Amino acid sequence: MKKNVQLLVLFMVAALITPILTSFRADDEADRVIGIWEPSSGKARVKIEKIGSKYYGKIVWLREPNDETGKSKVDKNNPDESMRSVPLKGYRMLKDFSYKGNNEWADGTIYDPENGSTYKSTIKMKDNNTLEIRGYIGVSALGRTDVWKRLQAAGK
Amino acid sequence: MQFPLYAIAPAIARIAVCLLCAVAALHAQTPDSTKTVEEEEDFSQYENLTFADTKAKNYCTPKIPGLSPQKLISIAYDLQLPAELSTPLPPAESRRMTAHGIRLGANIPVISNNKIVWQMGANYWETRYNTTGNQAESPNAFTRTLTERGLRTMGLNTTLFKPLNDKRFLLVQASADLNGDFRWNDFQSLSYLRYSAAAVFGFKPNDRLMWGLGAARTYRVGELNYIPVVLYNWSSTNSKWGTEILFPARGHVRRNFSPRTILMGGWELEGNTYRLNQLSNSNYPDAELRRGEARLRLVLERQLRGFIWLTAQAGWRYNWGFNIDQGDFFRGFNGKQPYLAENTWSNPLYFNIGVHLVSP
Repeated sequence: MKKNVQLLVLFMVAALITPILTSFRADDEADRVIGIWEPSSGKARVKIEKIGSKYYGKIVWLREPNDETGKSKVDKNNPDESMRSVPLKGYRMLKDFSYKGNNEWADGTIYDPENGSTYKSTIKMKDNNTLEIRGYIGVSALGRTDVWKRLQAAGK
Repeated sequence: MQFPLYAIAPAIARIAVCLLCAVAALHAQTPDSTKTVEEEEDFSQYENLTFADTKAKNYCTPKIPGLSPQKLISIAYDLQLPAELSTPLPPAESRRMTAHGIRLGANIPVISNNKIVWQMGANYWETRYNTTGNQAESPNAFTRTLTERGLRTMGLNTTLFKPLNDKRFLLVQASADLNGDFRWNDFQSLSYLRYSAAAVFGFKPNDRLMWGLGAARTYRVGELNYIPVVLYNWSSTNSKWGTEILFPARGHVRRNFSPRTILMGGWELEGNTYRLNQLSNSNYPDAELRRGEARLRLVLERQLRGFIWLTAQAGWRYNWGFNIDQGDFFRGFNGKQPYLAENTWSNPLYFNIGVHLVSP
């Protein structure tokens, strides 16, 4: 009986720990996308972070932060009128990405504040400092890929 | 020592409760993912950053804010109201005619990333000519060719945008078009393909201006020609005004009422050289129609739903040339080669309406 109980406890501990350890390893791989990134145009910087089990990106810097009146830029092109006074800094333009393995995050959307359009999107990590972000309409062939570069504190 | 299950059950229950509490606590700390904007934070911390990869650099894009959307797939209908066409080709005659037809186009990105944007396109245009006055069969072989067969254009084209850095770029366009009075069951030899190309070296000094200088080999107003070209795409600071110019082919002033409604006013030069098989088979071998027209117009572009846009054009079609030559050759601006027939055509209003799938 004692042996049976020890086996039972061992089994339960293993059953609890194994998925936790596995998820830590998967999380490590998936979390490489977290950081500050700059699109190829250099017009903005985006902070990708993890919320729950998904990944999101918000605008944290704009090369031209103010509009023609000198006020902070807002999301004036949003098709939803209630969003048009929301500041672009802090705006979550990448949403709902899940890690699919093989350096790819998918099932997300990317928002273009310049025309107020939201596109389906996938993220592919080419190397630790380079992302290929593809926005597309319906099928992936009808889209555009941009290359984002990782940023770090100056002098590191 | 005995460990009956009932003795360790409370311990297991306590561990389970602790794990649940820990998970609940973690969940309670998770931000709301449905929110588009989070609380204010100190954004100044993101100002003084550098590329982690020291070799990384920025590249300019082919877009500026407010630019009319690029069309991936298009279907349009073009109508020119009745106008008087006169030809001196014996027996000389004049007829009032309308010109109308469908225009299909596709422009699909093959490679699209920050270092290169390469697109391939295809187009099919047809123009039918209908007599509106005298309905009797025309004795004139040229008029009969137009009314019986119409004109078609079928072509492939490619566009390459190559940014050199964040301020400079190359733009190259090339096309091969089969133009003529051919039909699907009476196709035209590919030896009559006509090739056009343009190359522009451009600058993007800021996010709101792209300009460039280049050269083109073009049939745009019917005649083969080699001309300089000027690109000038500009947007005002508030993105409500702008220009979209590729001189001399087209030039528009743009007014953006919203990102989903754009009005443009300007011109476009249109045309090509068309092999006229039916006329060539009568008494005029190698007959080609040099069709060229300038369209002064207003263009309204409006989002219908999602990525589907409507384009409506209205304007005046000015006849640049509708003359008949024999063969394809370079006449240039000062060439003295005579035309087989110098036709005249009055200048009517025209309308064009189309639906498009637009690009991200």
